[in-house]
Amino acid sequence: MTPEGISELISRVSLRDRAAFDVLYASTSAKLFGVCLRVLGNRTEAEDALQDIYVRIWNKADRFAVADTSPISWLVAIARNHCIDTLRARKPVAAELDQAVDVAEPSPNPEQSAVTRGEAQRLHDCLDQLEAVRAAAVRGAYLNGDSYEALANRYSVPLNTMRTWLRRSLMKLKECLEG
Amino acid sequence: MSSIPPEDTIPEGDDLIAAEYVLGVLPAEERRVVARRIETDQAFARLVARWQQHFDPLNEQFVAEPAPGDLKNRIDHRLFGTEQPPASIPLWNSVTFWRGLAFAAFALAVFGFGRDLIQPPTTTSSPQLVASMVADGSPVRTLAVFDDQTRLLKVSLVAGDVPQDRSLELWLIAGNEAPVSLGVITSPQVTAFDLPQPVADKLRDGTTLAITVEPVGGSPSGAPTGAVVAAGTVRGI
Repeated sequence: MTPEGISELISRVSLRDRAAFDVLYASTSAKLFGVCLRVLGNRTEAEDALQDIYVRIWNKADRFAVADTSPISWLVAIARNHCIDTLRARKPVAAELDQAVDVAEPSPNPEQSAVTRGEAQRLHDCLDQLEAVRAAAVRGAYLNGDSYEALANRYSVPLNTMRTWLRRSLMKLKECLEG
Repeated sequence: MSSIPPEDTIPEGDDLIAAEYVLGVLPAEERRVVARRIETDQAFARLVARWQQHFDPLNEQFVAEPAPGDLKNRIDHRLFGTEQPPASIPLWNSVTFWRGLAFAAFALAVFGFGRDLIQPPTTTSSPQLVASMVADGSPVRTLAVFDDQTRLLKVSLVAGDVPQDRSLELWLIAGNEAPVSLGVITSPQVTAFDLPQPVADKLRDGTTLAITVEPVGGSPSGAPTGAVVAAGTVRGI
């Protein structure tokens, strides 16, 4: 489905069009379920999360019109944020550490557009300019929902040290991306 | 870089808080505070949006995985308190909608059958026929997509289930002719019907597809005997 197609579906969902909601679900739920599975690490929680996420999408679809973003990014952000909030509400943190294993990363989607490829390449190039361990922390946080606490435990550094070097990495990343 | 402070101090600023929120590393309470701020502080919301754009390419690495078949019903139940289909489909004439429908059904087909069974990608110029089948008061909603090249009609159950003690049978009704059985729906996700050429020829814009409830294995008489639980008109896109 083209981004324009998904945008139109989201707009129609904001007008309470249930047929559009069906199609939006059919075309995007697998991707968002993938987000839930990766971040939450178990199917039961992922299924509950996916329900909450589509309820949210139905209720918040009108917000998409003012969001300056591609439709799939908007949907993935809703899913990621919901899953991360769920993770953070979970206790104890130990569960997070257990699942913080590196998941094999698939090769980039061959169907993505040249523009997206360019942006992706730039992000990866800029991440590669960071120390390897810091780049891995940034990627891990984004893809697995690692918290500062989990990262500090994993790299055996105090929380503030973790925060300092992650923030410095983010500043370098920004200079590289926007420079 | 002059903008990066010495190693032993924590860099500060809204932009970094925005980045941390997008990255997801903040603890629960801080995330709640930031989320509230995004709602009320437009300048801050723009910082968040910008960081989100920076990280968007990583979204490619989330591997799509089909969600369980009954999950959409549960969502509909929560939102609408019912599993009934919408009374009307105002999208009927939207090309985007139909392309979306075809894509959606195709995506389901991919997940339903596995990549090995999918034919080489059909070219976008190849005509496709799609139908959305619904009925008032029925929980069953389906999408059908016909691929001219493979002569496979793929039918996805969007809502509703295959009953245990009955079969859902698919019928093709061309004009005033008697319904022709295409077979029974066997999968709660996607069933592929391999249409013989004479039947495939009848499948065109305006043909009706319908699903009835029949005894297990399908109607013994070769004509529909049970209630129509979903029906729709075939459209070319």
